[in-house]
Amino acid sequence: MRTALSVIRVVAALASVAVMAVWTPAAAADKVLPIGVLGPLSGGAAAYGLDTSRAAEMKADEINAAGGLKIGGDLYKIKLIVYDHKASAADAATAANKLLFQDKVKYIIGNTVGATCNAVQTVTEPQKVLFSFMCWGTKNLAPDKPYSFRSLLSQWEVAEPFYRWVKEKHPSIKRIAAISPNDTSGIDTNTAVVKYAKALGFEVVADEYYERGTKDFYPTLTKILALKPDLLDVAAAPAGEAGLILKQARELGFKGAKGWTAGVNPVPMISVAGKEAAEGVWTPANIDVTSEFVSPAVRKFGEAFVTRYKEVPGAIAIANYAAFDVITKAMVEAGSLDTDKVLAALTGRPHQTIWGPVVIGGKDTYGIDRQFLYPVVIAEIRDGKLVDLAQVAPIGLKK
Amino acid sequence: MSLSLLVQALLNGFGLAMAYVLVALGLTLIFSILEIINFAHGEFYMVGAFVAYLAFGVWGLPYVVALLAAIVCVAAAGVVAERLVFRHLRGKTLNAFIVSLGLLWVMQAAAQLVFGVQDKSVPSAFSGIVRFSGVVISVERLAVTLAAAALIVALYAFLEHTRTGRAMRATAQDADAAALLGVNIEAVSAFGFGVGCGLAGASGALLAPIFSVSPSMGELPVVKAFIIIIIGGMGSLPGAVLGGLLLGALEGVGTLFFSSAAVNLLGFLMVIAVLLLRPRGLLGGT
Repeated sequence: MRTALSVIRVVAALASVAVMAVWTPAAAADKVLPIGVLGPLSGGAAAYGLDTSRAAEMKADEINAAGGLKIGGDLYKIKLIVYDHKASAADAATAANKLLFQDKVKYIIGNTVGATCNAVQTVTEPQKVLFSFMCWGTKNLAPDKPYSFRSLLSQWEVAEPFYRWVKEKHPSIKRIAAISPNDTSGIDTNTAVVKYAKALGFEVVADEYYERGTKDFYPTLTKILALKPDLLDVAAAPAGEAGLILKQARELGFKGAKGWTAGVNPVPMISVAGKEAAEGVWTPANIDVTSEFVSPAVRKFGEAFVTRYKEVPGAIAIANYAAFDVITKAMVEAGSLDTDKVLAALTGRPHQTIWGPVVIGGKDTYGIDRQFLYPVVIAEIRDGKLVDLAQVAPIGLKK
Repeated sequence: MSLSLLVQALLNGFGLAMAYVLVALGLTLIFSILEIINFAHGEFYMVGAFVAYLAFGVWGLPYVVALLAAIVCVAAAGVVAERLVFRHLRGKTLNAFIVSLGLLWVMQAAAQLVFGVQDKSVPSAFSGIVRFSGVVISVERLAVTLAAAALIVALYAFLEHTRTGRAMRATAQDADAAALLGVNIEAVSAFGFGVGCGLAGASGALLAPIFSVSPSMGELPVVKAFIIIIIGGMGSLPGAVLGGLLLGALEGVGTLFFSSAAVNLLGFLMVIAVLLLRPRGLLGGT
């Protein structure tokens, strides 16, 4: 009998502890908001994916450290779920399916490489999942993809103001050669460069493509340089390959002007090209977080990023950090996690971000306002560093 | 098309062909001895490039020392890989294929963890440009071609004229018969794997100052190496040299007429043609 009473006492004590735990206010308030992040975390494009995931990680940690997101009376801690798609469209679709149906994610903030965004959108759009990315595919934004946003200026925003600036400031330049990787991002970039350069009166003498991973550009450059371009645009080439093209063009005797319409990470590009070959490159889509020309917020972000990851972030990291900030603030403003309500809070007004004020526009280009717009800064590489030359507005931002 | 442009295109193609031949020779040597296809061979090339980056680019050692260090380190890594992994898979082509794919990802990920994902530059070992009649040759590329050619000749001499080299050839021809004649197959296998990987490491170290160095840099050379050995003939040293020169010429001249993306297809078309018309390769044995 005594034993039975002891057991009852122990059970009662445990039950009361359990009940107290359940009724602890903090436990009741803390909910988890899963947010998906995709990107190539391995392989040749891994630098883009790591910039993407690291920026999301930094913003999520900031939010969680500040207590979380208060959305409609509930407090949410963010849980990031990151998948590597190795820049493969098939793997990206698989990862998106896992995020939606296994991890129950309603927001994917971050992805790069154009073809993978197309694949992800086939999964996210029918499920009304809000998807923000830095892919440069033209067709990633369209009226039939209302839940998709691009947080990084694309070739369509930077090519026109860049070539307009070249025409105004360097009227002796008449003949343009553009070279890009042979994929969605590269083809779209060269298409934008060719379209706007021709519209502005330039002669496009070469519209060339190469396979990603190429290291020896002598054969391609021999053909291009025989056409005597005044300006060689390494349009959508990533940093390492852009650096190699410029280095090898110099070895082959090219002394003309150099552009990098869609370059997003100048430090490794300069490192690979060498100071001499990188000297004088004009770049409208770039950012050097260590430069004195960027905003204090970007510089602070850059310092924190370097301290944490020992690598310098490119524009992709800053764009995803800004997107994470804008979208999570829109959740708080909407007071709901319903993506339609968050969408309403996101669109139709400017947002204050790490870039400064950002407008979500792009209807003239894509038929829908889903492109983050902010001023283009045209910089020149001088003695291994970026020097700002001009600030110009994309057409959409002007309007 | 001017003659100088054609000459330049040919020089472009031949310029680095010898370095890729080194990768191909390593691959074919390993296949001959262990009957396995090492898909991680490009990663040994990558390790060689990173050794050169550290020794020459970071620590400032003389380039020749960096090159020798790359050969020795990668050869040692190859011996370890053979001892721990590939020895147990001799003749098991499919198993070895899957394991080598796994090794490829492990080595890439390890390099990514240690060195980061961004391309690293290695300073030029030989500066200067030679120009004549509108044709440009970089001294650095010329040096790489000569060094690679010297290593190929050294390998040929080693295989033909040394006791160990003859033991390796005997093992490649018939391992059981070689064992009956007293050849230590296990030692020869480990040594052959080391030599094969060392050749890849040498190629990586030679090309590191010309290109940049990154964890995924081994993917393209190994594809070129496969094309070269299929064209030239599996197991044939002169065949690998011929295959490399043919691929170089095709890529160099082809780029004048087609986009570089399309030129990559030409290499594979050549492989298909060789496999259909002469499956053992141009200089391969029966």
